[in-house]
Amino acid sequence: MSTVLAIDTSTSQTSVALVENGKVLFNKSHLDPLAHGEVLPKLVAQALKLTSKVDLVAVGMGPGPFTGLRVGIIFAQSYALGAGINWAGVCSLDAMAANISEEDFIVSTDARRKERYWARYKNGVQITEPAVSKASELEKLGVQIFQEGKYFPDPVAIANLGLSNSSVTQPIYIRKPDAYPLPDGVKFRAMTALDLVSAVGIEKVVYGKAAWSSAQFKEEFAKAPKNANYIAAEVDGELVAYAGIFFALDVADIHTITVTDNHRRKGIGRELLKRMIDWARVKKADAIMLEMRLGNDQARPLYEHYGFVEISKRENYYGPGLTAVVMRKELK
Amino acid sequence: MALVLGIETSCDETAVGIVDDRKLLANVISSSVDQHVCFGGVVPEVASRAHLEAMQQVIKQALIDASISIKDIDAIAVTAGPGLIGALLVGVSSASGLALALNKPLYGVNHLSAHIAVDQLDNSNQLQPAIALLVSGGHSSILQVNNLATDVIVKGATIDDAAGEAFDKIARLMGLGFPGGPLIDKQALTGNKTEINFPRGLTSPADLEKHRYDFSFSGLKTAVARYLAQTPNYKKADVAASFQEAVVDVLITKSLAACKESGIDKLIIAGGVAANHRLRELAKQRCESAKVELRIPPANLCTDNGAMVAALGSLAINEGVAASEIGISADSAASVTQVVWK
Repeated sequence: MSTVLAIDTSTSQTSVALVENGKVLFNKSHLDPLAHGEVLPKLVAQALKLTSKVDLVAVGMGPGPFTGLRVGIIFAQSYALGAGINWAGVCSLDAMAANISEEDFIVSTDARRKERYWARYKNGVQITEPAVSKASELEKLGVQIFQEGKYFPDPVAIANLGLSNSSVTQPIYIRKPDAYPLPDGVKFRAMTALDLVSAVGIEKVVYGKAAWSSAQFKEEFAKAPKNANYIAAEVDGELVAYAGIFFALDVADIHTITVTDNHRRKGIGRELLKRMIDWARVKKADAIMLEMRLGNDQARPLYEHYGFVEISKRENYYGPGLTAVVMRKELK
Repeated sequence: MALVLGIETSCDETAVGIVDDRKLLANVISSSVDQHVCFGGVVPEVASRAHLEAMQQVIKQALIDASISIKDIDAIAVTAGPGLIGALLVGVSSASGLALALNKPLYGVNHLSAHIAVDQLDNSNQLQPAIALLVSGGHSSILQVNNLATDVIVKGATIDDAAGEAFDKIARLMGLGFPGGPLIDKQALTGNKTEINFPRGLTSPADLEKHRYDFSFSGLKTAVARYLAQTPNYKKADVAASFQEAVVDVLITKSLAACKESGIDKLIIAGGVAANHRLRELAKQRCESAKVELRIPPANLCTDNGAMVAALGSLAINEGVAASEIGISADSAASVTQVVWK
C-alpha cells in the first residue's frame, strides 16, 4: 500500500496529485506564474481531505524559474519532515515527456529571458541533460518540440517516477545566480603605478595597436581619487584584470575594463563593472558611458544586463576601420 | 502553554527557533553571509538557494537542541514579510508544508514586530506600552507599541537608507568589507568619535517640523564619502567612530523625544544594529538621565533569528489572535502594522 503526494512548480503552473496504489485520487493544476506560494498549500489541503495518510512526497526538481521551483521543493521536503516520511525528487521534464509517445522529441519549458529549458528524448528515454538555450537555437535541431503551454509536467507522472526512479536530490537550476560568487583568491584593490609594467604588457596582448602606454595610464592615475578611479584584480599577487573610470561634469566614462584571456568568464569583469557603477553613483553622476570595439563585444550582454543601452557608433575610433559602439546607462 | 517553532528567511540567515511560551528552547542559525562578502551586499538569489539547502538541517538541529520531536510542536510561526521576496517564499513554503503535515496552525508574522517580541523571551516583565527603536540592515523606525500583537503605530522611519545599510556602504567605501555593522563597530573602538563632525540628518528645526521622528542617512553617507575622497591619509578608526556617533546620536535623540512626547517611559531597541556597542552604551547613559527604562535584547537575539519569530507566534497565541489561512502570501514590503497575517 502506498499513497504518493506529487507536486510540481517548475512551470507557470502549480500541480498537485494524490495517487494511491496507481489510482489517481486527486489531480489539479492552477495556471499562475506568480502564485506558486499561495496556490500550492491550498491544493495540497484540498487533496488531504481525501486521505490523511501519505507515504511518499514526490516533487519536480526542475529545471524551472528559480523562485517558483523552490516553493515546490521546500514544501515537499518540509511536508515529508513533518509527516516523518520520505520525499523523492524527479526531473520535471521527464514528467512532461512521460505522456508523449513520439520516437524522437524535445520537451521545453519557459526559462524567461527569451530562453527555454529543454531535454531531448528517444523512445521515452532522456538522451540529453536538461539545458537552457535560446528558442531559435532549439528549433535549429529539427526535432519535434513539445512546449509548455499546451504541455506541462504531469503530477501523476511525478508520482510514478517518484516511486520508481527518484535520483534527483538537488534543484536543477542550470543557470548560475545573476551575481555568482567570485572564484577564491581574487583580490580587488586600487591600481597603482606599480601595476604599470604588467598592465602595459596585458594591453599589448589584448588591444594590439590600440594598447595604452605607461604614460597614458599615469595621466589617468593623476586624476584619482577626485576624478578617476582605477581598480586592479590580482590572483596570487599577479595582475589579471583592471578597470578605470573618469568623471567630470555630469557623466562618468568607463575608460577600460580589461580581463586577461585565461581569467575571463569568472565574474571578475562583472565585479569590476559593478564597482565602476557604484563609484559613479557616489560621485552623483547623471549617467555612465563606455565604448567598446565593434566585433569585439563579448561583454555586451553584461553591459546590457546592467542597463547600458547603445546610443551611437563612432567610426575609425580605434584606428582605421575600427568602429566603437557607445553605450550609456542613466543613473538619475 | 504552547510549543511554537519559528522560521526566519527574510534575508541571508536561515533560522529556526523553538519556544515554549516565553521560554527559549532552541535557536539555530545558518548564515550565507560568507557567500555575499565579495559583493558587498546580500545577493537575493544566492541567499534563496542557501535557504533551500540549509532548511531541513536547521529544523532538525533545532528539534535536537530543544529535545523534542516534530510531533510535539503545537504551532508553526514564520516570517511572511518584510524581506527579500524569493527568500521569504522559502520560509513560508516550508512552514506551510510543516503545518499541513502536522495539521497544526500556521502564523505568518511580521519580521519587524518579531525583533521586538524577542524581548519577551525568558523575561517576565511587561513589555508594553513602549517606544521601540527598530534598527537593522533594511529598516530604521520608531514605533509606539501599545500591544505588540494588535496595536503598533509607526511614529517615524528612514526616508532613504536604513541605518544598517549606511554602515554597510561606509564600510565598503573604507574597504573594511561586509557586513559593515560589526566591522565599523570594531574599528570605532579605538577611534575618536569627536574627531570629525559629520552631519545629523533631519535635525534642523525646519526638518524637525516635517520629519520629527524620521531619519535620513544619505547626506551623512555623502559627507563621509567626500571626507574620504578629500583626506588621503584619513584614520579609519576616527572616521568609523565619528560616523557611528552621528548615526547613534540621531537614533537615540529622536527615540527619547518620542518617549517624552508620548508620555511613555519605556524604550526598547531591537534589530541587528541594536548589537552595536556604542548604541547600547549611549542609550544606557541617556535613558538613565531621562529616567526611561531601557530594554535591549541580548546581542545574539538582536540579529535575525528564528527564536524571535517563535516568540511573536507565541505572543499572538496568548493574545488570542487567529491563525493565518492556508496559502498566505509573502509580502516583501509588509508594514509593521501588519503583525499577524490573516
